Amino acid sequence: MNEKELYKALMTEIIQKQSVILGPQIAILKARNVPSLVIGDSGHVTDIKEDPRAALQSLVDEYVKLSGQIVKNALGSIFIKYPQVEGIQ
Amino acid sequence: MQNALVTIIAACSILIGAYSYWKSKKLSRDIVASETELKSRMYELSILKELGDKIGYSLNVQKIVDVITGSLNQFIDYSTVSYMLVDPAKIVFKADLQSSVSRQFVDDIKNRMRDSLSALLDKKLDTIPVEEALTGAMLKESNEPVRSFFNIPLVIGGNVVGVLTVAHIKPGLYHEEEMTILYKIVNQASQAVTQLEEVVKTEEGKLNAMVESMGDGIVMTDKDYRVAVVNPAAKFIIGLPNKNDVTIFDFIDHLEGKFDIRGKLEESITLGKIFSADEVAIGGGFFQILVAPVKGSHGTIKGETVAGVVIFHDVTKERQVEKMRDQFTSMIVHELRSPLGNMKKIGEIMKEESIRQDKKAYDEYVQMFSQSSSDMLDIVNDLLDVAKLEAGKFEVSKRKANIKEIIEDRIKFFDTTSRSAKIELAGVFGREIPVDVLLDPLRISQVLSNLISNAIKFSRPGGRVFVQAFMHRNGQDLEREAAEAGISWFKDTENKLPNDYADTLVIAITDTGEGISKENRGKLFNKFEQFGSGNRVDKPKGTGLGLVIVKGIIEAHGGTIGMVSEEEIGSTFYFTIKS
Repeated sequence: MNEKELYKALMTEIIQKQSVILGPQIAILKARNVPSLVIGDSGHVTDIKEDPRAALQSLVDEYVKLSGQIVKNALGSIFIKYPQVEGIQ
Repeated sequence: MQNALVTIIAACSILIGAYSYWKSKKLSRDIVASETELKSRMYELSILKELGDKIGYSLNVQKIVDVITGSLNQFIDYSTVSYMLVDPAKIVFKADLQSSVSRQFVDDIKNRMRDSLSALLDKKLDTIPVEEALTGAMLKESNEPVRSFFNIPLVIGGNVVGVLTVAHIKPGLYHEEEMTILYKIVNQASQAVTQLEEVVKTEEGKLNAMVESMGDGIVMTDKDYRVAVVNPAAKFIIGLPNKNDVTIFDFIDHLEGKFDIRGKLEESITLGKIFSADEVAIGGGFFQILVAPVKGSHGTIKGETVAGVVIFHDVTKERQVEKMRDQFTSMIVHELRSPLGNMKKIGEIMKEESIRQDKKAYDEYVQMFSQSSSDMLDIVNDLLDVAKLEAGKFEVSKRKANIKEIIEDRIKFFDTTSRSAKIELAGVFGREIPVDVLLDPLRISQVLSNLISNAIKFSRPGGRVFVQAFMHRNGQDLEREAAEAGISWFKDTENKLPNDYADTLVIAITDTGEGISKENRGKLFNKFEQFGSGNRVDKPKGTGLGLVIVKGIIEAHGGTIGMVSEEEIGSTFYFTIKS
């Protein structure tokens, strides 16, 4: 899996988890606020137009801005599955 | 030309008209946007105000969420608004039905909320029982599923406490903007509660620190006898100093047969009464136990019993002092009765004609009568001195006096006694001692008499007693100075000599007696404590008040008294007097 695909899979998992936590509607709406991401209706990341790492940071920031640090903490188990991706701030 | 002009004017009119239309449309959109923003801002402010008004300083999360959900219909359309709160023992689920929905709809919402909480907490919640409450419209038979919904996590102090969910049967109903505003409002309410909790925690911390540091054992239980507060002293009393989760059963087990803690707590909480037990023997000590109800001081619980508290006050020392006081009184009575008894017997004998005719025998009895009355007077004087010391009324009359002469006078006084006891008694004087020292000659003579008398009493035949006077210089080693002045003090490793004296005259009485055991050293200057004198069968008699008075006299001179000793080798009693 190349880097872009890796990030797509990771961010798709993040959106899916946020869909469970926050509900799919708001989770996808907030993900679509990241300009470099193309999100399908089911919440899948279908494309990353720019730097994937910056996109990942923006995606997490969107959720943190909405409901605080706690939703970021809930992503810990996902990041463990992607050791190639360095921890985000 | 004219046509061209008309065309230009018409084009301009169209352009102006189009611009005006666009401008008015934009203005209209701006007004709508502004109104929407104003509406949401007003809602935000009103809900925060309502929270402040209704909740005040409450930290009850359910009450706070009730306020938010209760006024949500002013701002957003929904079929149900619900919240789920996690408690260690149960999950509270409450849904307000704005319109009738099916049971399946409610269950669906409930499952989604539990999934949300499970994801946030990263643990399964399936096994925790759910306590459900539905309000608002009635449930109905319907196939309308959940088509729009969003969850807002409820976080207090960085911990997830629950989730709030807005749901509707209509699809795609909620816009990002209005959902975001709701998140913002809930976050602000959570932050306000978090800040309030921090204040409460800080205050609780202060209170806990105070309770923790208290010498009395303190246990507080709720109305169901669950231990809410227990301090280290209480845990120590029941012999569980290191146990973390102390329960009421630990206290019941430890106090079994001594104090019915459970019963007294129950009575206290139920009847609102205070109980006390004066002297309960626990683990080698004695405790006064007080059980009292704890009543709420404000809000809805004002005046209501909310908990019970048990206080264990250690009275062991008081009991010991009481016992010592009783023993002391008995001892004094005995010491006084002995010479009085002698005087009575002597008086009866002296009344006999045969004795009155025998001048030699009569004189002997007069001498014995005089000695007994003198002994009694000494005891009474000692008691009076101690009474004055305790009342802070003990005074000394200082004047310039020759300390060397006072010491020599006392050595001369005890010469006969020491000779008959086969003990060498001598004075040793340092070169720098001043001629005149400001002191009360009578009282210092009394001090010397007491210390020399004790030294002789506790020395064996063939022993030696030295009365030493030398100057101590600030910062110098007292023991070394004494040795340089001619006498090495008896001092074991347990003894510590002070090293912070200013320049002072030191007077020391060193004997080669039996020494003082480590356990008895602390009792020396205590009014109520007389220590045993080793294995001696001819234990010297007395009230034991001598050293108490000696200490009082030296302190009245602004000096200090101390002692060093080596068991079976000897002792040194020393005191300082400002030169």
